This record gives sequence, structure tokens and C-alpha cells, in this order.
Amino acid sequence: MKIKLWLTLMTILIVFSMVMTSCSPAATPEPAAEQPSAEQPMEEPAAETPMEEAMEPKVVTFAWTQEPDSLHPFYTNMWFSATLQQLYLCWAWEYDDQNIAYPNLVEEIPSVENGGISDDGLTITLTLRDDIVWSDGTPLTSADFKFTYDMLMDDANSVNSKYPYDALTSVEAPDERTVVMNFPEPFAAWEANFWRGILPKHILQPVYDAEGSMMGADWNMNPTVGCGPYVLDEWESGSYMRFTKNENYWKGIAKIDDVFLQFVPDDAAQTAALLAGDADLGTFIPASDVPTFQDAGLTVFTVDSGYAEGWFINFREMASPAIRDVEVRQAIAMALDRQAISDDLLLGLTHPIETLWDPIAGGAYVSPDIVPWEYNPEAAKTKLENAGYVDSDGDGIREDLDGNPLVLVHGTTIREIRQDIQAVAQQQLREIGIDLAIESQDSDIFFGGYADGAPPAIGEQDIMEWSDSTYFPDPDTDYWLCDQLPSEENPYGYNYYGCDEALDALFQAQLVETDPAARQAIFHEITKYMHDNVLWYGIYSDPDLWVVNSNLTGVKFSGVTPFYNIWEWDFAN
Amino acid sequence: MTRYIIRRILQAIPLLFIISVLLFVLMINTGDPLSTMGGRRVTRPEDRERLSRQLGLDQPIYKQYLFWLIGNDWTKVDLDGDGTAETQGTRKGILRGDFGTSMVQRGKEVTDIILDRLPNTLLLMIPTEIIVIALSLAVGVYSALRQYSATDHIITGLSFIGYSMPIFFIALVSMYIFGVNFKAWGLPYLPTVGMFDPKVGKTTGQVIQHMILPIFSLTVITAAGYSRFVRSQMLEVISEDYIRTARAKGLPNRMVITGHALKNAALPLVTIVGLDVPLLLGGAVVTESIFAWPGMGRLFIDHLSRSDTPVVMGILMMISVAVILSQLITDIIYAWLDPRIRYS
Repeated sequence: MKIKLWLTLMTILIVFSMVMTSCSPAATPEPAAEQPSAEQPMEEPAAETPMEEAMEPKVVTFAWTQEPDSLHPFYTNMWFSATLQQLYLCWAWEYDDQNIAYPNLVEEIPSVENGGISDDGLTITLTLRDDIVWSDGTPLTSADFKFTYDMLMDDANSVNSKYPYDALTSVEAPDERTVVMNFPEPFAAWEANFWRGILPKHILQPVYDAEGSMMGADWNMNPTVGCGPYVLDEWESGSYMRFTKNENYWKGIAKIDDVFLQFVPDDAAQTAALLAGDADLGTFIPASDVPTFQDAGLTVFTVDSGYAEGWFINFREMASPAIRDVEVRQAIAMALDRQAISDDLLLGLTHPIETLWDPIAGGAYVSPDIVPWEYNPEAAKTKLENAGYVDSDGDGIREDLDGNPLVLVHGTTIREIRQDIQAVAQQQLREIGIDLAIESQDSDIFFGGYADGAPPAIGEQDIMEWSDSTYFPDPDTDYWLCDQLPSEENPYGYNYYGCDEALDALFQAQLVETDPAARQAIFHEITKYMHDNVLWYGIYSDPDLWVVNSNLTGVKFSGVTPFYNIWEWDFAN
Repeated sequence: MTRYIIRRILQAIPLLFIISVLLFVLMINTGDPLSTMGGRRVTRPEDRERLSRQLGLDQPIYKQYLFWLIGNDWTKVDLDGDGTAETQGTRKGILRGDFGTSMVQRGKEVTDIILDRLPNTLLLMIPTEIIVIALSLAVGVYSALRQYSATDHIITGLSFIGYSMPIFFIALVSMYIFGVNFKAWGLPYLPTVGMFDPKVGKTTGQVIQHMILPIFSLTVITAAGYSRFVRSQMLEVISEDYIRTARAKGLPNRMVITGHALKNAALPLVTIVGLDVPLLLGGAVVTESIFAWPGMGRLFIDHLSRSDTPVVMGILMMISVAVILSQLITDIIYAWLDPRIRYS
């Protein structure tokens, strides 16, 4: 009796969930005639269905380990979302597989030589192409650029970041093809950061007018109108996204019909899906799986995207006196065998680096005078002795003149490779008499703010490790600016490292320097200074890894706009 | 009985209030949703300060709870940071059915986010529960009736193996065997991840195919434990006097087992299944992650890891209500099934 009751109840619930599930949009919503299902054999299509319509569509499947939180370019900074923008959106200029910018929506990239940048660097003028249209056929004009700027700056919209648009005083659209950007002072990092995603005014303006904000617009999660080679067809939360080709794409119709993103949050499951052929592309794969993919005939791409894994050194007053001593920092730099880390933990897929700027522009911003830190434990020990640290009690850990042991705190996130590096570093630093106390936290705790008591923000850790970048592909960063030091008065500051007046002046100078050669010279000074004083210690260059079905042709990846040529991709067979 | 039900429902109100306060305080202290909004870079200070104000995260915790509970449309908020609260709040609060909007999926209603996933979880978990119950009863009864036989020893051994294996191990091993290796060996194989093959579409056949491996993994783990429970209950019951009496009266063995022993042995299983109802709604985090099944478990983990308080609170409150209701229903069913039980 009881069992019957439960079975009846559960049967009702199953039927309910089947109904609910089948109520969600089907994967092939429109025409059964164009895309027959496997349950409908190819011999059976209706007689009136043309043969080419009955052919199976070309679908490339991505195994995507993180589901985008939004497809609105200004409501997300997730890498897994931003990377997709070249599918359904368009930037004013995009980047090729050498990370070099090329014009996309504009006739040419502004420069002083072509008159696009004024001599004082305060005005930048864009001239738009005359053939660019949204996927619904509406022309894409300067009004869309102006609208994008207005929406970003309106507080009612609560966008994720106003950078770099808050560096502007205004944007003007004097005619349909001209966009004028006005700055209060020169802004050298403009090219790498402006016009990453243009908003369709004709779609979002009515929403904004009605609701006073674009935050609740359907387009944010369902951008069925875009300007890339594909448009979003459907997005089922937690399951998949499907993009279909944009028939109005001005560069040409994409060769592959659909791009299907399968959300696979588990690394091992992603590997299995790629090996089983259930997915054609995957990224953020564990380095240890690369040989397996290569053995299975899949192609692995290594793409520099500006990221570098490194140790951020805390030289604020609350840090250990030892880490604030440059000789101790230099000793640490010589005590870690970074080449072994790259070879053993990362299977030689990457290499040690000296500065945060190594992966940018082929290292053009890195001073040629830098002498890389060599693994040399004996020299490291000498440095420590010179600094006054000796092992006076014979326990293997050095003490300062007051008998305080040389203990440093190293913190990072819970990412596996970082914890492996922590273990190696702990062992190698112990060999020179430094006791490295290691700790790790979840990202949302580790990267919390000063008011949250996040360990890096409040200065509890002497060395902090993660992978970071400048405003790539631009070399600018504001991490070491003195006005970014966190405190009770400035709880949101994110200079967790310290204030160095000389360094601060150099960072301030480069941002307003519009002469590329002069700016490069400033960065040579910055990199040399930071390297020799070990204010940031590079562990390895952190490129993006892509695994691709070898049957795909024309595949190239950019480090900035990865899918910049996806409309040219095709299947060989 | 009616008075009992009303009393239990009234008791649930302060209980839910206390649960909500505790969960909210815990959630607020588990991380900062703004910390991961910068993507791979650390969130810019100017943006952190602005978003903190605009999303109401700069308010004291009691005020954040109050807004979550009763909304903020009765007061004004400061959006532009000039120190003056000039914009009318828009939130109604959960007491008026407004669970708010997600912080990471900006602007999307929490109820929509949950309702997107709930059917998928029920679709996976209900068949699993039915198979688990049926299998546990069959295996448990069979094993009990043949106590200490070779079959009983084999079933016992397999149960312990199944029970002691972590779910991720079973899930990955089954995926590699039936998905990757079977394909490599040219055998009929099962899909590895997702709910359907994108080249085919979301047909019933596709969804069922994709359900096989996750259901298999969940069943192995759960049925192993339940079957041990049924076996021990059954062993206890078949040694009772009334079973001996039934046999002495000449009832066929099948009638004795199904009509008398199983009915009584399975009674405690009702309690366990009742306790499983919240699990049905909460989903299976590991299994859903490995098989890329878009259910509630993954939703919960995804939003918890980004400290998305409105969504996490929505899920937790839904489960809390489900726990209270399922226990109430279980009690009522007990009283209905067993006339000796009275709640008055």
C-alpha cells in the first residue's frame, strides 16, 4: 500500500518533469525539415524536402567548463563569456593570432599619422565602415557607439566595470560613420581597451526608456541580434548554448552552420568528451592530459594571452621584515628551480618568465638589460647571510639578529597547480633556511576586499601567488599605484603589495605618454626596477591551451579575441 | 488530525524564520560576490566600490536581510554615490514572493533561474529513486531470505563495494568504459556528457540515452546502502511470531513474504524515502557536474562559489520548505497507514 502510494506520487512527478523539460525550447526549434533527428532515418524525409535541406548540419561542439553568467558584454568579465564575443558581437578592432590589432568595424585603426588621433592625444576619431549591419539587417552606426558609452556611464545600469570609459569626458557621433572620443588627458591604453562589444541601440533603447535601466533586458541573456558571424539561437541554463550562422554577416557567411557549447564543469569529463569525440574543442585543460590528447590525434594549441603566474611580493609595513629586505627577496629568486616546475609540473608546455610583461608583444616592453634569476641555492644562502640571517640554533631555519626565525607566509587559491608549486617552493626554500608557511583559500575569499578581511588585502601574507595580466594587450597596470593601497579610508584599494614612489611615478608617466617609443622606454625602466628588486617574481608564462578536433580546418586562435576567424573554420570531412 | 496539521504548519513559520536568518548570516560571510567579478583580473577598486553600493552590499547585514525579507520598495537607495538616497527601491522581498535577482546573472529573477533547472533534476532523481527502491527491496529481501548462503555473501560483498566507492569514481569509470572505450572498441556506446547530441536534437530517445550513465552511478551508490537496510529489517521481521503464525496457518510462502513480512519490513523505508525528498530537489552535485547534467546541484555549487546570495538563499529556502513539508506528509501517511499511530 505504502509502496504503491510512493510509486504513484513519483510517477506523477516524473510525468511533471518530463512535461516541464519538454516545454523548454527544443534544440532544433524551427524546422524539422532542415534538420532531421537521428530517430528519423535519412531515407524517410518527406518527398518535397530538398536534398540539401535534409543534410545533417555542420555543428562544431565546444566542451565549455564554465557557463557564462551573461552574454551582455558589460555584465560579465568572465573569461568563458568574454571569449565568445567574437561569435555574436563585434569589436571596433580585433586581434589576429599574433595578437596584432586589425580594423573590424572601422576603416582603419586611429593613429597620429592617419589623423585619427589629435597631436595632443586628447581626441580620437573613428571612421566606421559603410557596410556593417546587425544580424537583423539594421545598419550599425555611430549612434550604437554613443549609446554604448551612455549606457556604461549611467549608474542605473550597474555595469560590471566602467573601465576605460570613465577616462573619457564625452563621446560624440557627428554623423552616422564618425565617432569622436574626447579625453581630459592623454590615455595611452586606449587601443587595447575601448569598444570591446557594441550594444544594439535599436534593441536596448526601448527597454531602457521603459524601465529606466537595461539591466532586465531580455537581450542580456538572449542576444538574438548581434553583429558577429553567428547569432545566439538558444541557451538552456546549465546545459548548452547554440549559435547559428548570421546570414547578414558582412565579412561572409560562416562555413560551419552551428556552434554548440556543451557545459561540462568537470575537467575529467571534458577530457572524456573530447576523447570520445563528443566535443570538437576544449580549453583550460589540465597540462597532464596534453599527451593523452596528442596520442588520440587531437591538436593542442598554446596561445599567449598575456597571463603570467607569479608571486606578488608584499612589502607593506605589516609584512614580515624579512620579505621587505631586498636581499632576502633576491635570495628567494635564486632558490626556486622554476625550470623544473615548468618541466615537471607543466610538462614543458610553458617556460619561466622574469616579468609580468614577458607574454606581451613578444616581450617588447621588457628591458633588454634584465639578467634572469638563475637557480643557485648557494648564492641564495650567501645573500641571506649578508642580510644577517643565520641558523644559530641548528634547526635548519635561519634566524635574524634578534633570534626570530625566518618564516614567510605564502598564500594562493585552491587551484591544484598552485598548491603543487607551494609544496615545491616550501621544500626548496627550506634548503636555504627559509620556512615557508603555506595557505590557500577559495577565490571568492582570497580575492575578497580589505573590508572582508581577505588575507592578501589586509596584508597577512608575505607572498601571494596567482596568474594575472596587465590590461592586455596593453602593458598598463595600476596594481602598484600608491593611491591604490587598501586601508580603512580606502577599503577597495587593490595595491596589496606596497607603495614605491619611484615606481608609482613611472606607472603614472607611461599612461599619459602617447609616443610609443617613449612609452616602451618607460616600461623598460619599470621592468628592470621590478625585476632587480624582486617586487614581482615570475613563475611561468600562463598561456591558454586549446584542444581541437584535427578534422577542423582554418583554426587559429588569438590571445585577445580567440575566435577572431571562426567564420572561416570548416570540417575537412 | 486537521488540528495537528495546522499546528505543524504554524510551528514551521518561526522555524523557517530562524533557518533563514542563520543561512543568510552564513551566506554573507562565506565570500564576496564582487571578488570574482573582475574575471581573471582582480576587480577594479572603483568598480568594487560602485557595485557594492548599487547591489546593496555596503549595507549592514541586518539591513540586507530586511531587504531580502520584506523588500526595499518602501525606502530610497543611493545609486550614484553622492551620499543622497534618491532612487526608489524596487525589491518586494520574499514575503511578497520576490526572491530577488541574481548578482552574477545580473537582472535575472531567482525564481526563473531555479525553475529552469528543477525539472532536469527531477527528471534525473525521480527515476533514480524508483530504481533504487525497487532494487533495494528486491536485493534486500532476496538476500535476507537466503541468509548466509553464497548468494547472500556475494550480494553483501557487492553492496559493501558499491557503498564504499565514491560517486565520482563510479561516474568517471562508467563514463570511460561505456562512453570512451566502448566506442574505441567498436561496440555500441553511451554518450558521455550533456542531455542530448546537438546534431540530433533534444528528443526523448536522446534524453533517455544520456540519463543512463548518471542514473546508473547514482543507483549503485544509493541502492547498496538501502539494500543492506532492507535486508536487516527483513531479517528482523521474518523471525517475528506473526510470520510463524502465518506459516503455521498454511499460507503460501510468497503470501507470507509479500503480504506480511515485506509490508512491515518496508515501513521504515517510508521514512527514508521521505527524507530523500529534499535530495530530489537539491540534485546530485557530483553526478551532475561530471555528466554535465543541468540540475539543481550544479546550480547551487556554481552560485555558492560566487557568493550569489539571492540564488543560494532561494535554493536553500526551497529545500527547507521541502524538508518541513515532506516530514509533515510522512507523518500523515504514517498515521493513515498505521491506525495505531495518533497525533492528537
